[in-house]
Amino acid sequence: MTNLKRFLIRRFLTFIPTLIGVTLLTYVIAFIIPANPARFWAGGLKARPDVIQMIIHEYHLNDPWYVQYYYFMKGILTNSMIDPVTGYHVMSYILSRFPITFQLALFGFFFTVVLGIPLGIISALKRDTWVDALVRVWSLIGVSVPIFWLGYIFIYIFFYKLGWITIAGIPYPPKTITGVPIIDAILEGAWPVVIENIKRFILPGFTLGFASIGVVARLTRNAFLDALNSDYVLFAKARGLKKLRVYGHALKNTMVPLVTVLGLQFGGLLGGVPITETVFGIPGMGRAMVQAIFSLDFPVLIAGTFMIAIIYVVTNLIVDILYAFIDPRVRY
Amino acid sequence: MPEPIVIVEDLKVYFYTYAGVVRAVDGVSFEIYEGETFCIVGETGCGKSVTSRALTKLIDPPGRIAGGKVLFKDRSGRYINMLELDEETLREMRGKEIAYIFQDPAAALDPLYTIGYHFIETMRDHGTIRSNKEGIERAIELLREVAMPAPEVRVKNYPHELSGGMKQRAVIGIGLSNMPRLLIADEPTSYLDVSVQAQILELLRQLKEKRGLTLLMITHDMGVVAEMCDRVAVLYAGHLAEIGPVDRIFMNPLHPYTQALLRAVPNPTRRMLKLEPIPGNVPNLASPPPGCRFHPRCPYAMDICKRERPKMIEVEERHRVACWLYAKR
Repeated sequence: MTNLKRFLIRRFLTFIPTLIGVTLLTYVIAFIIPANPARFWAGGLKARPDVIQMIIHEYHLNDPWYVQYYYFMKGILTNSMIDPVTGYHVMSYILSRFPITFQLALFGFFFTVVLGIPLGIISALKRDTWVDALVRVWSLIGVSVPIFWLGYIFIYIFFYKLGWITIAGIPYPPKTITGVPIIDAILEGAWPVVIENIKRFILPGFTLGFASIGVVARLTRNAFLDALNSDYVLFAKARGLKKLRVYGHALKNTMVPLVTVLGLQFGGLLGGVPITETVFGIPGMGRAMVQAIFSLDFPVLIAGTFMIAIIYVVTNLIVDILYAFIDPRVRY
Repeated sequence: MPEPIVIVEDLKVYFYTYAGVVRAVDGVSFEIYEGETFCIVGETGCGKSVTSRALTKLIDPPGRIAGGKVLFKDRSGRYINMLELDEETLREMRGKEIAYIFQDPAAALDPLYTIGYHFIETMRDHGTIRSNKEGIERAIELLREVAMPAPEVRVKNYPHELSGGMKQRAVIGIGLSNMPRLLIADEPTSYLDVSVQAQILELLRQLKEKRGLTLLMITHDMGVVAEMCDRVAVLYAGHLAEIGPVDRIFMNPLHPYTQALLRAVPNPTRRMLKLEPIPGNVPNLASPPPGCRFHPRCPYAMDICKRERPKMIEVEERHRVACWLYAKR
């Protein structure tokens, strides 16, 4: 257990350079854009010079980039920076939108796991049949089709033609516990709200997870086939183990590479969030970031990037911990 | 004279691949007597492992048993054809009547489970224990029997925490956990250090004596053959070349392949000045040479060798060979 504690401390320390690196890169990219944010924030062409001066002073826009970066990060982390475009505290604004994004990613991840893994297993068991070919084609389509195209096609079919789903508003349960609507609704037992949330998120979630389903199915197929062809499965059969137990051995070994990829996919889903949220009109963090780009709203952009980076590193940490539970060879 | 525990008649195992039908085992017949150590020797790819696995139909697609019989003498003394049994009966036979151990013990054990778990699941699925606690007790006994140091500790270990020799001991213990009567050891020492090889062979010999096991050894190592075996079958490219008592095979090899093989490796029964490799290559089994499969490499090849497959001929007592040189003309 002390080993786990040491491992966690070590990993948390590696978070710091990762987060600094990600935000710094985003910041530098925003900084070199040849635009005049102060003027834009002050009202564009008609901006009053004294207001522009105030904004430059407030956001240290005349200071060197590293000083600016320092004040940006300090303002975001202490939640003391007020967003020049929206007027909210930057971090509060991002945090208020984050639960929606998280819920969307959860839906995408749900489809990734619930469809990706079984499809991969079926594909492996029915190797070189039409089922296998179908799954492979799906994987290829999944990684090739752009999310925005797929999203509009789905909206056309399921909303416009069939009317099975809703694409407006986020139903909230009466009380806020975690902030994530569907989790709160489940915790409170507000089942109509749960169903409303499912109807609202099922399509964006599926769209978001579409590529991941293919990736995970392919990986599961290959890992499961490797396991089935391994010597331990041969030995298991040779010992006369029951069929289910033989498959159990193969499945658990398949989990080892799968957990890593699932973690990365969860991070990848967050990367797809801005497009999905824009297409489906979901007021989450991703859409806030897209809007921030259009209005040169760097504080929101950097705060959003910061959140995504945090989710990424935390997911990877969870993966590493899970790893040790599955594979006894892994030691901290 | 003991009775055969296994009679293999005209066994054929084919692999249906894109490159064509690979006749990995093509009409092999032999019998294994109760209580003996029987060896199948041959080069890599000659079909020796496939033969041993076919005894319990442990052949995965694209491989298929294309013909023949495997008669196994059950505990009541009747012979049953293994190849006609249904999947569930076969499963019960595997591990309980016929056990296997394989060449790479590190790969044979599932890295995610403890040694003890391997024992428990093996006994559970054959109904020989009632509880996991009983399973652990039996596992410790078995590990002690295979001379595993500190068995109470080892039973809780994961495979990666054991050395190669200890892993093979564990594999043997797991294989023996349901008291099988026939143990098939497929190159049990190939992956082990030379110093450990002798220990494992000695262990197998002791276990065989103590339990009255019948041992089928698959090997390419003539040293192991001389050390362990009572009778030997020499396999070449899916055909049986020669079969006989071990001393006759070494003293009086009949088949030109056996003779060449014994000249190619250090022979424990005679002084040799130098080793001679066998000229030519092992044939491709998707398009094997007609007639005797050894004829392209055989110094004594005759016309008939290229046309017709030789039949097994008993040249001396219990010593048979498939070669036209010994056919009565």
